[in-house]
Amino acid sequence: MSTVHSHIRPNAYLFLRLPSDLLKLIEIKPNTIIDTGKLGSFPSNLLLGRPYYYKYEILDKTESEAYSRLRIVPPSELNAEILTEDATPSESRGDPATPTVNGVPEAYDLVGEDGTVVMKNNRLTIDDASRQALSQQEIEELKKSSGGKEIIEKILANHAGLEEKTTFSKAKYTLRKTKKYLKRFTVLPMDMGNLIDYVMVKEAPRIMEMTEESLGLVTAWSNAHYSGCDGIVEKADELCAGGGRWLVIDDTGGLVVAALAERMDLLFRDPEEAQDSADQVNGTATSNRALETFALEVESAQPGANGGLAENGQETTDTPTKATSHLDFPIPARTDTITLLHPAVQPNVSLLKYFGYDTNQPDPLHPLHTHLSTLSWLQLLQPESDVTYREPEHTADHILRTWKSGKRGTYWKKRRRWERCKAIVDDARRGEFDGLVLASNMDPTSILPHTIPLIRGGGHVVIFSPTPEPLVKVMDLYSKERRAAYINHISKEEIPDPVDFPVDPRMLLAPTLQTSRAKEWQVLPGRTHPMMTSRGGAEGYVFTARKVVPLEGGVMAKGNYAGKKRKAVEAVEGGAEG
Amino acid sequence: MSNDVLETTNGQPSPFFHTTSLTEADSLAILHLKRDSLLPLTLRTAADEGYAEGAVTNTRFGSFPHSTLIGIEWGSQVRASKVDTGSRGRKKKETKEQLGPEGGGGGVPVVAVDDPRTRKKRKSDDDLTASELPAKKLKQGASNGQPPVAARVAVEAGSGFIHVLPPTPETWTASLDHRTQVVYTPDYSYILQRLRVRPGSTIIEAGAGSGSFTHAAARAVFNGYSPSLTNKSKRHGKVYSYEYHEPRVATLCQELSSHGLSNIVHLTHRDVCSSGFALSPEHPPPQADAIFLDLPAPWLALKHLARFTADAPLNPHGPVHLCTFSPCIEQVMSTVSYLRRNAWTEISMCEVQNRRIDVRRERVGLKEEGLRGVNASAATVEEAIDRLREVECKLSDYHSNRAAVEVKGEQKKIQSKAERLEKIKLEAETRKLYMEGNLVQRSEPEVRTHTSYLVFATLPRAWGEEDERGAGEMWGVGEVMGGRDKVAVEGGKKG
Ligand SMILES: C[S@@+](CC[C@H](N)C(=O)[O-])C[C@H]1O[C@@H](n2cnc3c(N)ncnc32)[C@H](O)[C@@H]1O
Repeated sequence: MSTVHSHIRPNAYLFLRLPSDLLKLIEIKPNTIIDTGKLGSFPSNLLLGRPYYYKYEILDKTESEAYSRLRIVPPSELNAEILTEDATPSESRGDPATPTVNGVPEAYDLVGEDGTVVMKNNRLTIDDASRQALSQQEIEELKKSSGGKEIIEKILANHAGLEEKTTFSKAKYTLRKTKKYLKRFTVLPMDMGNLIDYVMVKEAPRIMEMTEESLGLVTAWSNAHYSGCDGIVEKADELCAGGGRWLVIDDTGGLVVAALAERMDLLFRDPEEAQDSADQVNGTATSNRALETFALEVESAQPGANGGLAENGQETTDTPTKATSHLDFPIPARTDTITLLHPAVQPNVSLLKYFGYDTNQPDPLHPLHTHLSTLSWLQLLQPESDVTYREPEHTADHILRTWKSGKRGTYWKKRRRWERCKAIVDDARRGEFDGLVLASNMDPTSILPHTIPLIRGGGHVVIFSPTPEPLVKVMDLYSKERRAAYINHISKEEIPDPVDFPVDPRMLLAPTLQTSRAKEWQVLPGRTHPMMTSRGGAEGYVFTARKVVPLEGGVMAKGNYAGKKRKAVEAVEGGAEG
Repeated sequence: MSNDVLETTNGQPSPFFHTTSLTEADSLAILHLKRDSLLPLTLRTAADEGYAEGAVTNTRFGSFPHSTLIGIEWGSQVRASKVDTGSRGRKKKETKEQLGPEGGGGGVPVVAVDDPRTRKKRKSDDDLTASELPAKKLKQGASNGQPPVAARVAVEAGSGFIHVLPPTPETWTASLDHRTQVVYTPDYSYILQRLRVRPGSTIIEAGAGSGSFTHAAARAVFNGYSPSLTNKSKRHGKVYSYEYHEPRVATLCQELSSHGLSNIVHLTHRDVCSSGFALSPEHPPPQADAIFLDLPAPWLALKHLARFTADAPLNPHGPVHLCTFSPCIEQVMSTVSYLRRNAWTEISMCEVQNRRIDVRRERVGLKEEGLRGVNASAATVEEAIDRLREVECKLSDYHSNRAAVEVKGEQKKIQSKAERLEKIKLEAETRKLYMEGNLVQRSEPEVRTHTSYLVFATLPRAWGEEDERGAGEMWGVGEVMGGRDKVAVEGGKKG
């Protein structure tokens, strides 16, 4: 029944789109004041429980109250300001006169048959700032003294040239002034599109300049989708054993992980549950701490009890019989999972906090808590050299019982961290992932030899790059010619040189490179044309392919190779892929 | 057929959402013949065409008995087989995909790979059965209810091959026979992204056409099959799909059911412009979170997608996102004009420009002379000069010192063109051509420059005085505003 963005919920992150069209990111906490900067400030409670996508106007503060109140501007009022469809002569070359029926231009004739001007246009207006009778100082005065609407009316009244202006440019003038002086903003929810818009303006490199159209391509071609097992009566066990695991490498601060998580139904906490816990206004910090101590207690009482996800974290405090998912080191889920491979000790998925997932403040009710696993390159490739992967010393129960609870807690915590790490690493090394999604500043040709073998047959490989060059290199490694040369080598029982063949070119089918750009248009009544300017920068490229099982591989698996040949091929596979 | 609820509950998970560990009989697979040439196929154990091998699919790259496609790892490369047409022959199937091995699929020339499987074919059939294909054989025999000897084990033909892939909306779209124009991946991926379609969402789609968008939408909303099995508050994702062309409805309905999508896609035979989106009386209205209109006059359908009609098909508890897909600018203008007059916000329009990029190595230089797919002119100034001098030298020798040349002709390496070409050709065999030349990229030869214009808009949830009062009570501001309003303070605390 509930919808994630049905209304503004407490402690949510959201955007205010200001008259400048810039997005302002806020975290809305109950009983606080939201300061929008130039537009003024208002109590957060005036937005809580209200709907998204409306335009809110900050009203003038009354004497008796400490802050301004808000008004929801009905869309009809907004559209009335734009709908000046009856007369729209041109101000410039691109805007022909277009009296419209249903917005469709009927005629373009500005000049009558006898050469007289039939329709008023901007030929005679003079572009001159001095034609505004009010000085800037006077306008500033006005701004202090009265409401926005009033200012606009005064400015318009004092504009000498306004009568000469056509309806269209008058509408445009009004619009410009409206933008500047009306204290309005739109409230937009935290979602992938708005987040991209926001980061793209502020620090595009943080998300590798990934546009929404690129992200759409990446998620579609990755085939990421929900793969839980509920509703499948038969075969559930078999399907759940291997299904729905994606391997991800993400240098976009978590944007790609978030997008995949969204497709896999892992990004948003159940709003109903979120509501329940948010209702306890005192914040989650204290209850979280309570929960953590509780988890530790349970652990020390019954070692190894790593139950499933608690149905309601808050409730567990009162009903200690329920199994709980650990705040610190939960055992990862088996299906519908994202495994994130990262180059540093810790992954950078900071953008996920806007969706309620923060590694520093774990929320055991967030789906990512158990469905996102992270491991470093070292843990994947040389787990034995990783400290966390090494099993901590085991202590017998009767000795444990003699320990102080603090020491015991630390002991169990260590065990849990190791158990989680081992589960993640072993699961990743097992391979058989449904797909690989890669958006990284690292050289893909160094990543692929290690990751392609981890993808199952028929699985999906998607690589994003802001610029084409790295992907052109990948295409070249899987080129027809290189593949033919490779096959030629093995057919002659030669070992292909790993320098010439960093990857086994037979492993990917239909490698494809593409780029998408959404070209924006202006669609004002009678003035429909492509935007005059748009964002430059990186175009964004997406490489896609399917993992396949070449004929020889299949044969080898069946063990039909005679000794000598088999060795050669194995060495090839090892050298090229491992 | 009008208003029919087309649902099946066969309990089978959709092959689009669950990839079995191996390929299975009676499930959908996509045969990848070569780039952009995909063939959807339901794998069968039983024969209906009279082949000794059981069910067989013929392609340009040879014949593929399904017994060679079932029970193998997904993504496997499979060699074509020699098939025995049996007594009844193959009359019908031949017309569509012509038989005739030609080099092989996947764009790889069939290099003479010494494959043990090809070697094996020289042995007797009995050998094969015993060592290599017992599982397949058994399966086939069992489902036919015949002794295992009945269906003959396929013998590899040694030439063409294909790959077997699990189906996805992308491969399905690429393999569609075009009953109508379809929405392709670059457009639908962006549309679904912009429409904020997530697992659990409900989307309305009209017209369904060939079902390309339908499949992508189904994947996007999917969050489980049967509501009864999960907690009550979970909304299950649905695609409400409408189409007024009866044969298309029938085809799509059949496809959805064989794809295990009938529980997710609710297909209705209907003219949505005249009759709207309401369902049969016993079915609650769709409660859509998103709408995709791919029909000639979206503004006519939009009349039925307002908030305050009797059985409004929109989710009353949240915003509704809309996309209309129209090839002409006039359609866009009419749509936008309608949206502006009917309380839609966030109206915007764009077109997705997608290019596929060819990557190849371009070899330039005199040493490429006579080779294929190269530019055999001089690669550098030095090369040009050397060649010019050579020619110059030849000429002057010819004129001034003919006799001398004849004497020590060999030393002067005056090579005939034929000799030169022969030498280049020989050298080329040892060169690593796949690593030479300039690595370049360009758009593929054919670019889709215009698909359609995408109009996006959002309809916020309705918000009346009552709602505002409710929110005001829940989130009081008395305290911050000056502390006069004690009741509101309480409300704020309770939150
Ligand atoms: C271009 S096709 C849609 C293709 C589809 N989106 C796809 O991806 O395969 C348009 C379809 O809309 C259907 N259609 C047109 N007007 C309709 C209406 N008023 N009600 C229902 N369907 C309609 C047509 O029969 C046609 O099949």
